[in-house]
Amino acid sequence: MKDTNMQNPKISAKGVQVYYGDNQAIKDVNVEIADKTVTAFIGPSGCGKSTFLRCLNRMNDTIDICRVTGEILIDGEDIYDAKVDPVQLRAKVGMVFQKPNPFPKSIYDNVAYGPKIHGLARNKAELDEIVEKSLRKAALWNEAKDRLDKPGTGLSGGQQQRLCIARAIATAPEILLMDEPCSALDPIATAQVEELIDELRQSYSVVIVTHSMQQAARVSQKTAFFHLGSLVEYDDTDKIFTNPQDPRTESYISGRIG
Amino acid sequence: MLMLPLYVPLLVTATLACLGYLLAKQRAIALSGGDIRSLAALPHQYGLNTLLAITVPSLAVLLGGALAGGGSMLGWIVIGVATLCLIGSLAQISHDYRARTHAESWIKLLLIGASVIAILTTVGIVFSMLFETRNFFTQYSWQDFFFSAEWSPNFRGDSALGILPLLWGTLYISFIALVFAVPTGMFAAIYLSEYASPRMRSIAKPAIEILAGIPTIVYGLFALITVGPFLRDYFASPMGFGDSASSVMTAGLVMGIMLIPFVSSLSDDIINAVPQAMRDGSLGLGATKSETIRQVVLPAALPGVVGAILLAASRAIGETMIVVLGAGAAARLSLNPFEAMTTVTVKIVSQLTGDTDFASPETLVAFALGLTLFVITLGLNVLALTIVRKYREQYE
Amino acid sequence: MTHKSLLTTDARTKRRNASEARFKAYGLGAIVVAMLALAVLLTSVIGTGASAFKQTYATVSIPLPEAKLDKSGVRDLDVMKKVTTIGYASILQAGMVAAVEGAGLQTDMKAKDIGKMLSKEASATVRNYVLANPEVVGTEVTFDLLINGRIDGYFKGRVTMESAALDSNTSPEELKLAQQLADAGIVQTKFNWAFLTAPDASDQRPEAAGLGVAILGSLYMMIVVLVLALPIGVAASIYLEEFAPKNRWTDVIEVNISNLAAVPSIVYGILGLAIFINFMELNQSSPLVGGLVLTLMTLPTIIISTRASLKSIPPSIRDAALGVGASKMQSVFHHVLPLAAPGILTGTIIGLAQALGETAPLLLIGMVAFVREYPAAYTPDAGLFGEASTALPVQVFNWTQRADPGFVERASGAIITLLIFLLIMNAIAIFLRRKFERRW
Repeated sequence: MKDTNMQNPKISAKGVQVYYGDNQAIKDVNVEIADKTVTAFIGPSGCGKSTFLRCLNRMNDTIDICRVTGEILIDGEDIYDAKVDPVQLRAKVGMVFQKPNPFPKSIYDNVAYGPKIHGLARNKAELDEIVEKSLRKAALWNEAKDRLDKPGTGLSGGQQQRLCIARAIATAPEILLMDEPCSALDPIATAQVEELIDELRQSYSVVIVTHSMQQAARVSQKTAFFHLGSLVEYDDTDKIFTNPQDPRTESYISGRIG
Repeated sequence: MLMLPLYVPLLVTATLACLGYLLAKQRAIALSGGDIRSLAALPHQYGLNTLLAITVPSLAVLLGGALAGGGSMLGWIVIGVATLCLIGSLAQISHDYRARTHAESWIKLLLIGASVIAILTTVGIVFSMLFETRNFFTQYSWQDFFFSAEWSPNFRGDSALGILPLLWGTLYISFIALVFAVPTGMFAAIYLSEYASPRMRSIAKPAIEILAGIPTIVYGLFALITVGPFLRDYFASPMGFGDSASSVMTAGLVMGIMLIPFVSSLSDDIINAVPQAMRDGSLGLGATKSETIRQVVLPAALPGVVGAILLAASRAIGETMIVVLGAGAAARLSLNPFEAMTTVTVKIVSQLTGDTDFASPETLVAFALGLTLFVITLGLNVLALTIVRKYREQYE
Repeated sequence: MTHKSLLTTDARTKRRNASEARFKAYGLGAIVVAMLALAVLLTSVIGTGASAFKQTYATVSIPLPEAKLDKSGVRDLDVMKKVTTIGYASILQAGMVAAVEGAGLQTDMKAKDIGKMLSKEASATVRNYVLANPEVVGTEVTFDLLINGRIDGYFKGRVTMESAALDSNTSPEELKLAQQLADAGIVQTKFNWAFLTAPDASDQRPEAAGLGVAILGSLYMMIVVLVLALPIGVAASIYLEEFAPKNRWTDVIEVNISNLAAVPSIVYGILGLAIFINFMELNQSSPLVGGLVLTLMTLPTIIISTRASLKSIPPSIRDAALGVGASKMQSVFHHVLPLAAPGILTGTIIGLAQALGETAPLLLIGMVAFVREYPAAYTPDAGLFGEASTALPVQVFNWTQRADPGFVERASGAIITLLIFLLIMNAIAIFLRRKFERRW
């Protein structure tokens, strides 16, 4: 793999292997992800891109049979170190899921949930401020400000997903992981979320898994192509889509595998 | 005319039915003249049709007659019906008689009849109690029954039969049982579904299910010989709460044990119905498992949990053997949980197994108690089932 | 934003983790409580009941003098029957005294008290034997005779020398002599088959009480329940699952069935009393009425589980049958029903197990009566399953109401028997489920 030659990577993975029981899902992945960048993981279904994403905030811990080896450093610290508390890690590495999954609570409580459990606000005024800021950042404030006490499940699909993004932002993370955030949305909602992702780049390191190559091309600066559990190619997005080095990448881009 | 014992018409009907089967089959074969393809149905289907055409009406008459109080003619009527049906059914057989379709209609009628039994049971329950309850209220004023705080039946008549002390005992014991069973059952369900290792689950889950399979008389005996004396010797007597082995606490605790598996299996279903995405969302924000359960899963499952608690309450209120053996027989309005009290079900048993005259208010009161119990539990069940069903639909 | 290292856990996270650990401990505590309750319950019942399966007998040679037992001298049964158990008691007393002397034992006890070491049931045993075999009169026969409940309790550890001193029904001397007789091999503790076969016994002789009538009664009731509840339940399920149109009427039936499943069992007892006994005038205490009541009670369980197994058969099976020109009825009876059979059977067995352990409704229809005659399955007078009987769980209740402490052991022993039956039934159900389980 070509050296990406990165100064101070936000995330750096070395020799990562993931096993589900006896099956190896991820084979020796090495990758460095930059801060304030959108990095896209692409690849055919079952290639391991989502699995790898879930390693970055240790969501795989919740699956009994899953085992991770290798090293994943965030700001130079190994997140699989025994001293790391996954709860603290996940406050720093937020996640947005494939299907919008707002809690059956009000919009306000959805966003306030993270700050409350992590104790980020000292009083109600601060909490209000965090909620408003997060909703604004998620481009939902104007639509939601008059119905903050209404249940989050009453929003449209696209609004729900932006609510989930606001919810993730509210814990003041440094990294945002997005697992196919638009796959359950219609084209208009997708466009809104993509626009939002581009803005989020100002403040966060965003990693997005997508099955849509167009989406990867539209929103990301860096793209990693996964195939059968291996990282095949990782480079600037333009380069991957215009001049891929690996024949497998080329076949995927041109629609021959996948 | 001679009254026939029940089995005579049954035997005659069965014989006629078998005869009808053979005759109809033979007749169909004879009609076909050797080529059964010329018939509208297979020969044995003709037989089956005749068999059903005899048994279904006869059985219907027999059952209907028996439920309507019998009568000396019933046996003969049934035999008559069976014979008529045999002749009628045989006469219908022809080349283009669709025997299979007709046989299937008879079967369908049987199936419908079977499902109507469920309705009949409910009607039977309601009417059997309504009827005798009305008799009771002609002899005893309903205001005294529902609002009097005194229960002291008297063999020579002139009894005080107020339901309030019984209801109090019932509710007090059920309350203690729920206070014990609901947290235990729910925590057990939560632990088993969210924390336990597969190995632990494979031991603890069947063990809890065993508790559910144990008959209530076993719990009753347990209350009587173990829990009651234990509570008396180590809690009630030393602390000066009295020295009765049967007490509200004894019955409540043992009933609580009985309810643990009930609550835990209902909670398990309900907790598992909350989508995994909801859990992931919370864990992904850095919530701990317990924060996720308390602040996301349980609020989402709340209606289901409420339904489960109501169902458990209905069980506790209707439970009989544990309170008969563990709670005592004294009707009392007291707050001391170590005192013997009694419940609606205990009194139903004691009033109906006593030696009093059946028509006396002391016996008939059992039906009024039964009806009250039925109405309370029915209300709880309907409410609980509606809530649980609504809850299920929400996540389907 | 300040950079916090992930490698150090901040105070708040520590607090949160502590609360997480507490929560987890509560969960574990709940499991422990449940398992402990099960363990205590089982050990308490088995601990008090296991000894019911053992019984103390005296092996004594009893002379059967013609002068006392047969005044006619020609083995005329009518004359012999005039000798009551009281007459036999004196013969047994003589036999016991002889046995004590024969073993070379010294005692201060009176002959009358030595005779009382035998159960009151023993004279009935000998009398029945003599009446059945009149030719033995005039000879000496060796019997295994029941020892009274207190001495039996002594050998099982229930009665001690101290408690005997306070008890008017026994005395330390009696227990001492019993111990010497046991050392001499005359008194022995053996497996108690009679507990499973003998009928109930009266209040003063717990040592003779058995479960024979109760087991027979329970068996009859299970036959009634199986014969009625299985076909009716399956028929109702087939209609509701396969044929019923979705309308108000079937909705009513559905809601009704799920409610019936939650109606307190005692209400079914009231139904049985009012409908089957008072209105239809079937025999009180009979297994037929008991079986009918339990059938109505079990039906909802069987219907619910049968519908679940019918539902689990994929529609493609039905479509395949319909596709080759079978009628709806044929597709159900030829294809769906056989495939659902294991599930239906499993549900039925579990329903039967529930019915077997049910007590409350049976109390109300009079099955709590004292019955010493084995009920016949059919008699012209009482009809099918019409003779008075008890049932296993009711027998337990019955024994808990007796004064003699020996009955506590009997009640617990009856529970062990009941639990063994339930265990067998559930094991069969689990076996069937494992063997025929099919995933579509």
